[in-house]
Formats: sequence, structure tokens, C-alpha cells
Amino acid sequence: MTKSWENFRLRPSPGIDLSQGAKCQPIPRSKLDIDEVNRMPFLAHGSHRIRYELDGPLGAPAYVLVNGLTQYSELWAAYRDALTARGFRGATVDLLGQGASDKPELFISQDDQVEALRLLIGELGDSPIFLSGISFGGLIALRYAIEHGERLAGLVPMSAFAELSPQLLLLGNALRTGLILGGTSYLQDLLLPMNLSDSWLKPLLSNLDAVKRQGWLINDVYALQNLMESFLDFRPLTPLLPAIRTPTMILNGEFDFLTPRSLHETLRVGISDSSLVIIPNAYHAFTLEKAALTADLLARFAEDVLAKRWQGNKAVWIAPDEPGGEMIPFPPGYDHLRAIPVQKAAP
Amino acid sequence: MNQFLGPLDSAGRAPPRQQTRIASFLISAHGALARQLALGLPGQLKAGWQAELNAQLHREAEIVSLLMRATAWVPDFTLPYHTLTWETAWLPKPVTGIADQKLAMTIDIAALGHAVHGAIRPAALLPVEGSAEDPFVMALRRIEFESSRLIQAQIHFLKCDDLKPVRDAVSAAVETRHRQVRKLWAELLEGIGIRRDPERE
Repeated sequence: MTKSWENFRLRPSPGIDLSQGAKCQPIPRSKLDIDEVNRMPFLAHGSHRIRYELDGPLGAPAYVLVNGLTQYSELWAAYRDALTARGFRGATVDLLGQGASDKPELFISQDDQVEALRLLIGELGDSPIFLSGISFGGLIALRYAIEHGERLAGLVPMSAFAELSPQLLLLGNALRTGLILGGTSYLQDLLLPMNLSDSWLKPLLSNLDAVKRQGWLINDVYALQNLMESFLDFRPLTPLLPAIRTPTMILNGEFDFLTPRSLHETLRVGISDSSLVIIPNAYHAFTLEKAALTADLLARFAEDVLAKRWQGNKAVWIAPDEPGGEMIPFPPGYDHLRAIPVQKAAP
Repeated sequence: MNQFLGPLDSAGRAPPRQQTRIASFLISAHGALARQLALGLPGQLKAGWQAELNAQLHREAEIVSLLMRATAWVPDFTLPYHTLTWETAWLPKPVTGIADQKLAMTIDIAALGHAVHGAIRPAALLPVEGSAEDPFVMALRRIEFESSRLIQAQIHFLKCDDLKPVRDAVSAAVETRHRQVRKLWAELLEGIGIRRDPERE
């Protein structure tokens, strides 16, 4: 036995975490009680079970919403309500390693996550499918679109990326180290101020433990670590982006410094029928902070696509501050990659 | 059935019967890991990484010691039976499908460590009303906190490139140990009126 222990070596760990945190108000305990869990539908992928949830009318166009790294399905409740009210079906899923889905003990490959999405979308029949994911979920959605784009009517990557910039790689490594040394709670402590605005955080400052509790309860350290380490063999998707022919709306928070504008620009440039929409005053986790606005943008995008009004044109837009507001074209001649009004260099 | 320990007393402490049963289980599991490490580690360390396992050995012993002192013990006549069941479960079993018996045994021991540190979350049993001044509450929090660090040695070993040729056997062994530990943990909790995460057990 001793000799066998000697045969392995501790290796450097180039893990990466691209998560937003579970930073919503705690969901009611009843949402995850035992009876609730027993009623949840599950998909089978090999020996693993994948929990999903469907709402809305059968046969309607469907929105599939994919969690960020530390998220779970309940966090999309407001989206399911808003989208079903607009005539869509809402589909949410806990990816492997998340929420009520199985948490493989040692390895979770991103291919398996794409397969989980394929299985879920297979449950939705022949209806038009709009696929949206945030952060880690955005990456999985991009991978799905590259491999199975023909099944999609539209794609909405949010706070997403196709490659690991040095900053993102190093931030991911640091977050992974934080998880290992300080557990899920410390990871949440890092993610909360990184990904949410002061105005969202300020009223919750005295109650942060309650904000963190459901995410802490539902996430296991080894499972989060496995999700992060699914990036160990990550290859940039950037060269594969032109394979996505699906209408694509890319959403990026104005102040997202975890996955900044430059990473979304890669998507805009690589995906032919895309537009980049900047969400004003938003950080990485704008889906939590600006749920009503984001749900409205998702619905409008799908309605435009279904009505054949959508034209991506690789345009850059500024989203309204409130749901239903007007989209504003980014001022022509100015560089949308800068944080100050710098005019674009001549081509 | 509840999801958390309780009902708590007016000082925010869990019932002594629950404390006794949980502490007995954790002492059995972490004590087994400590014994396995004590027997497996050489008297003279031969590689830098073995320092990690030496630290783990003493952390496991610390967990046992902490629980001994932090628990409000009460007599529980079912414990001899439960302890026998648990101790039998922790015995190393060489992983099937690996010809090298020493390696097969080592993988199983690491798989058990992964399961004990990963699948058991004692602090998740604490209701929000649990008193931070109660030693048992603090012990459960500390054990869970330490577990996320301790599991790193098992993760490094079980995921290492040296084991790539036998990765399926390794994954199956870890899955088996997780299932076993979760089942025993769930049975223990059910015995004290707590039910959690039934789908995964």
C-alpha cells in the first residue's frame, strides 16, 4: 500500500471556474423539500440522472435555460413565469454536478453536459428551440450550438466566452483555490462582490449568510471542483464559432469584468447572424439582478426570430434599462470595447 | 422527518441523542481513515507529497478527538450494533479489475476517504438557529470545512495520470464507496428523524 501511495505525484492544478455564484434570495425551503425532490422529473444519461423541469404549453416554442456553475434550476423561476406568460415553454435543467442532478464523483466532461442538453431538448418535441445559458451554462450552450445547431431556432449566450483569456484563466484558478481552501462559502464570498452591483448588495449586507445558504446547501465542494476541472482539457471554441448559423443574441453586462466585453466580442465576430447587446449597469450575474429585463429581452429576441424580423448583422446594441424599453444602437464611430468614449480606429 | 437537527433547545443545541449518534458515526468513519493512514504511511517519509497524507492522518485524529470532547453524550444501546456495521463497512476491499493488489487496496482506501470527506456534510444538518457558541455545532462546521481540504489528497491521487489506464475501475470504486457511505449516513439520519436528499441514496 505504501509503495502505491508513493507512485502518485501531486500535480499543478490548472483548474478554472467561470461561475457566477448562487446569489439570489434564498428560495423557500419548501421548494427543495423531500416531496418536491421526489416529484422532479429526471433524464437518464448512462448511470447518471439529470433533473429537469418543464413549464408552459405543449407544442409552444421553448426556451431552454442553462445554469451558471454554482446555480440550480430554481433560480430561473422568474424566467419560467415570464416566458410562459409570453406563450413559451420554459425548460430548466441542473447539469451534472449541480442541484438535484447526480454529481459524478471524479470526472464531469463538458461533452456529457452537452449530451444532457441534447437529451433535454429531445424531450421538447419538434417545437422551435431557443437555447440560453449564463457563464458556464453559456459555454455549454455554445458547444451545443456548434454540434447540434440545426436543432436550434435561436441562441442566447449570456456572460459567456469561447476561450480563456489570461485574466479569465487566472481568475478561474484563483476561484478554484478559494473553493479548495475555504469551501463553497468562501467561493460565494468572492463571487458576490465580483458579479453583482452595489445597489443589489447594499440592502443585503446584513443578511448575506441567508443569501448564501441555499447555494451552500445545494453545492458540494467536490462536485464544483469537478465542474471547474472540466476545463483542464479545454480547447478554445473560437475557431468553431462560424459553424453556428443560428440567430444569436449575445448578452453582456456593462461592468462584467469576469467575462468582459472582449470575450463577447469574440462571439460577435465569430457567429455570422449575431448581435451583441450590452446590458447597462449590469455585472456578470445580471440574470439574477435584472431578471425582468433579461426575460423580456429573451422573449423579444425569440418573437423577432419567429416573425422573421431578426437580423443579426453583427450589430452592437445597448439594452434598455427597463423591460419593454427601446433598444439603442451603439453610437456609430465609437469603440464598444472601450470603457471611455473613444472613436474607432479607421479600418 | 426533518431536514435538519432538532428540535433545538432554548440555547440552540441539538438533542443529545442526535449528537451521540452522529458523533459515533463520524468518529467511526474518521477513525478508520486515521488508522488506515497510520498503517499505510512509512515511518520515514520518502516523497514530498507524503507530507500531505501525514497532515491528513493528524487531522483525522483531531476530528475524532474534537467529537469526543464536543458531543453531549447520552447512553445509546444500539451503538454497539451500529458501530459493528460501520466498522465492517470501512474495511479495505481491493478494487476489482486491477491486477496489482497493493494498488487495488490503495485505490479503495482513497475512495473511502473521498466518500467520507465528500458525501458527508455534517454542517448541512445544522438549522440556521444552531448556536455558534455550542461546541457540537462548531465541531460539525469544522469537520465539514476541513473535509473540503482533506479530500484534495484523495482527488489528486484518484485523478492522477498514473491511474488513467484503470480510470473506469477507479471511478466505479469511488462511486461504490460513495453509495455505501451515503446509504449508511442516510440510515443513521433516518434513525434520528432526519431525511435528506433521498434521490441520491
